[in-house]
Amino acid sequence: MAEGTLSWERVEVEREVETVARPSLSYWQDAWIRLRANRRALISLYLVIALMAFTVLGPFVWTVDPAAQDLDQISVPPGADRVATVVDDYRPWDGATATPIEGDGGELAAPGAVEIADQATTNAVRLYWDPVAGAGGYRVYRNKYDPEPDGALGLPIGEILSPANVSFEDRLDLKAETYFYSVVALDGAGREAVGYTTVTADVTRVITAAEALDKGLIEDISDVAPGDTVKMAFHPLGTDYLGRDLLARLMHGARVSLFIGIVAPFLFVIIGILYGSAAGFMGGRTDQVLMRFADFVVALPFLLFMILLRILFNVESGDSGVGPMLVAMVMLSWPAAARLVRGQILQIREEGYIGASRLLGAKTNYLILRHMIPNTMGVILVTLTFAVPSAIFTEAFLSFIGMGVAPPTPSWGSMCNEGLKTMLTTPHELIAPAAFISITVLAFNLLGDGLRDALDARMRATE
Amino acid sequence: MTEIADTPSPDVPGGAAGTGLDIRSLGQLLYMGAIGFGALALLLWALAQWNEGGAGEAVDAVTGTITLSLFGEPPQLDSTRGTDAVSFNILGHTMEGLLRYDADNRLVGGVAERWQIDDAKATFWLRPDARWSNGEPITAHDFVFAWRKVLDPLNASEYAFILYGLKNAEAVNRGEMPLESVAVFALDDRTLEVHLERPVPYFDKLVAFATYNPINQAFYESREGRYAADADDLLFNGPFTIASWVHGASIRLEKNERYWDADRIRLNAIDYAYFTTDSNAIINLFKDGKTALAGLVAENLDDALQRRWRIKRFSDGAVFFMEFNHREDRLTRNYHLRKAIQVVNDSPELVYRVIKLPGNLPGASLFPVWLKGVDGYFRQEYPLADPPPDDDLGRRHLATAIDELDLDGPPTLVMLVGDSPTAKKQAEYYQNVYKQKLGIDIKIDAQIFKQRLAKMTAGDFDIVMAGWGPDYDDPMTFADLFASWNENNRGRYSNAELDEAVDIARSSSDPATRMDAMAKVQQILYDDAVIVVNYERGSVYVSHPRLKGVVRRAVGTDPDYTGAWID
Repeated sequence: MAEGTLSWERVEVEREVETVARPSLSYWQDAWIRLRANRRALISLYLVIALMAFTVLGPFVWTVDPAAQDLDQISVPPGADRVATVVDDYRPWDGATATPIEGDGGELAAPGAVEIADQATTNAVRLYWDPVAGAGGYRVYRNKYDPEPDGALGLPIGEILSPANVSFEDRLDLKAETYFYSVVALDGAGREAVGYTTVTADVTRVITAAEALDKGLIEDISDVAPGDTVKMAFHPLGTDYLGRDLLARLMHGARVSLFIGIVAPFLFVIIGILYGSAAGFMGGRTDQVLMRFADFVVALPFLLFMILLRILFNVESGDSGVGPMLVAMVMLSWPAAARLVRGQILQIREEGYIGASRLLGAKTNYLILRHMIPNTMGVILVTLTFAVPSAIFTEAFLSFIGMGVAPPTPSWGSMCNEGLKTMLTTPHELIAPAAFISITVLAFNLLGDGLRDALDARMRATE
Repeated sequence: MTEIADTPSPDVPGGAAGTGLDIRSLGQLLYMGAIGFGALALLLWALAQWNEGGAGEAVDAVTGTITLSLFGEPPQLDSTRGTDAVSFNILGHTMEGLLRYDADNRLVGGVAERWQIDDAKATFWLRPDARWSNGEPITAHDFVFAWRKVLDPLNASEYAFILYGLKNAEAVNRGEMPLESVAVFALDDRTLEVHLERPVPYFDKLVAFATYNPINQAFYESREGRYAADADDLLFNGPFTIASWVHGASIRLEKNERYWDADRIRLNAIDYAYFTTDSNAIINLFKDGKTALAGLVAENLDDALQRRWRIKRFSDGAVFFMEFNHREDRLTRNYHLRKAIQVVNDSPELVYRVIKLPGNLPGASLFPVWLKGVDGYFRQEYPLADPPPDDDLGRRHLATAIDELDLDGPPTLVMLVGDSPTAKKQAEYYQNVYKQKLGIDIKIDAQIFKQRLAKMTAGDFDIVMAGWGPDYDDPMTFADLFASWNENNRGRYSNAELDEAVDIARSSSDPATRMDAMAKVQQILYDDAVIVVNYERGSVYVSHPRLKGVVRRAVGTDPDYTGAWID
């Protein structure tokens, strides 16, 4: 055996094993990375941010008054033609008179010729015709379609009860299109003759200089002369049934919808956290009593409660119902959040690190604030994001049934209600607010989904 | 709210293999499911069919039946207490008064064969062949009984005032005199004599109104307070009887073979199979060939044109106006404030741009254009000057009003309106008009009909959007509306000059004097801005091409199917 000296050498510990290759991540940083990886959630987040900008900054960019009525452009869809010719002011028309011709008692003929006086404009279409022998009066019809071949004359637009008057002025909801006017003679008892005479009128869109000035389309009344054209006010998303700008109404309506949608969940989640953590931490009999009370609140019917609150707040039908709506939602929606938080707290209370912390002398306040609340934060945030769309939807529903905002204040729900009535003829009035509600609710839901995945590792969806 | 579980869910691989369910039982399950689904579908289909039971085609020429929709359940078929259009319409088809309107809107004999009216009394000779639906003859006593019932304070008839032309009627209705003192007498079974409180030049038109209908006393008393509660609790004397009445769902009228003029009636049955006020539902029923007549609203005019329907129009005779509250504590008591609101009003704009329905006429006067005057139309004989809106004048009036009332600026006013979409739309239009032109803020108080009426009566409004339809064919039905004694004068307007004109108009027997007095009422209402007239209501409707002879009218039963037939 070879003689030698034993030399003990200190083995170099590879310190690198213990070095962390990447910087340590906090809970929130980790969550943010996870959220960013979720494209659906990220797009939703951008949508929510865009929506906030639309609501808050929108009215500064698009400064149209949401209550102003542009009666020349009622229910126009987006992108409608808006060139109008300037004409002189509207003056009442005396019409045309004729000496009544005695009839021979036989069948009444159709009027010989129906003419259009002046120019057919959206202000007025003026018709006059040759008297019919034996007529006691006339009825004037207007159609958008040719009455031939089956003689569907269209809308009975006017009735003249005297044989001496052989003219009619149509001012009813004239649009810039072609109309077919038909005149039929009536006998003494008001019965209609068979024959009719039709004339076609190509109506041009017009505006008077005074109206143009009034609407701010021109700077000065001398800027335009009759015959010039001006462009009517621009409505990017069209107008509603009273000629109000839809874009402006959507922006202002979003204020109400998002105010309720964000403030109400925020308030009731805070109440829920306080209530739930108190119940969960104290446990025992207190917990039982508190949670049974929460069960009782859950059982209260929301709509009934809302109506009672309106009475309590003395809300008349002309006042805004947003205040009572907020109160009712906060008063009735907190138990869900309270239950969740209580469940979490009950679970966390028994965890080992809580016991350790307690052994090290932690006080109750420290335990709750340092350990319990932060550990329930994920659940709370998720609850909050899911509560937002449901609150927006509740607001829309209540405004839809007329318990929300008072006119002329718009809200998305009340806009849907108004748009619904003209769904078949002018669908854009319903589609715009309905699309906004749908997109908002979907964005918040997807964001909530993404947040849940990001914040609570155990709850991650397996995809 | 999504439930969040405390424990992570186990990762279970998909597929049926691990679940212990073998292929055969899966097939069985699917088989059972399919059968169950089929049975359910069949059951639902059968239920749907059964639900549509009773209602047939819009017009059925074989059985002579037409099917229609009605605005709702008739609330009150007791003619002494009815007030609404639906009840009056059913009563107009099933009952007949002394006189009635024919297809050309002329007054003709109903139960009365002949009649004679002078300043002091009216006499009616009844037909010997007029019978109740149980076969008993209609006697003058039936009228005496019914009219006393109307005036009985215990009956609380809202239309009692329409009988106030009868001597002592008002005192009896107030409970100051016994029922028997109403001056209506059955001289014998077939002669009815009425003594009048004052000359009532339009008494013949009054007795055509449903409140003047007869009631069979023996039958009424045999029902022990259930009179008119159901089809069996009514006795009819008109062209039709109520054959079945399913409350809240349908009413079926059948030809009354005992009606004295039954030959005139060509329809065998009228089936009111649908009760709805929804204008779209009404149109859809017509579109589907389920009903024979439907009113149109502005939203479905384009559709109607496209379908090439034959559209008809008529005026229902009603006038709509904004009524101010003239009570002491109200700002609207101020003349200049009312005038400001009046002179900026643009009725043509409302009618042509906002309401957009043919048949409506821009309003100016409380007296609609169809009312008859001395010889021709009242409004042609007594035109009312209605200058175009003048915003500057309005602002001057408002400035004076603000000064007089010692206000800081334009006031906020409460506008009471109905809860129909049309009413709300008009209110929003006016809200903008007065904000833009005068700076006045309008608070819209939309209420259901009953609640609106209660608030009107209590004076809980500044401005109310109200309407008034004619009860009888004389300008008087409008003229006395704002007399200080009229209960329907909800704004409590009081003007001695107007009261005096109303008195002349309702009691003078000279047509020219009467119409002059009416014209004075018209002028006062305009000059003093008591109301702001918005429009005269008209309507457009479509009817089944084979249904002929339907009469639409302003005064009397509307729509009137008594003379209708299937072509």
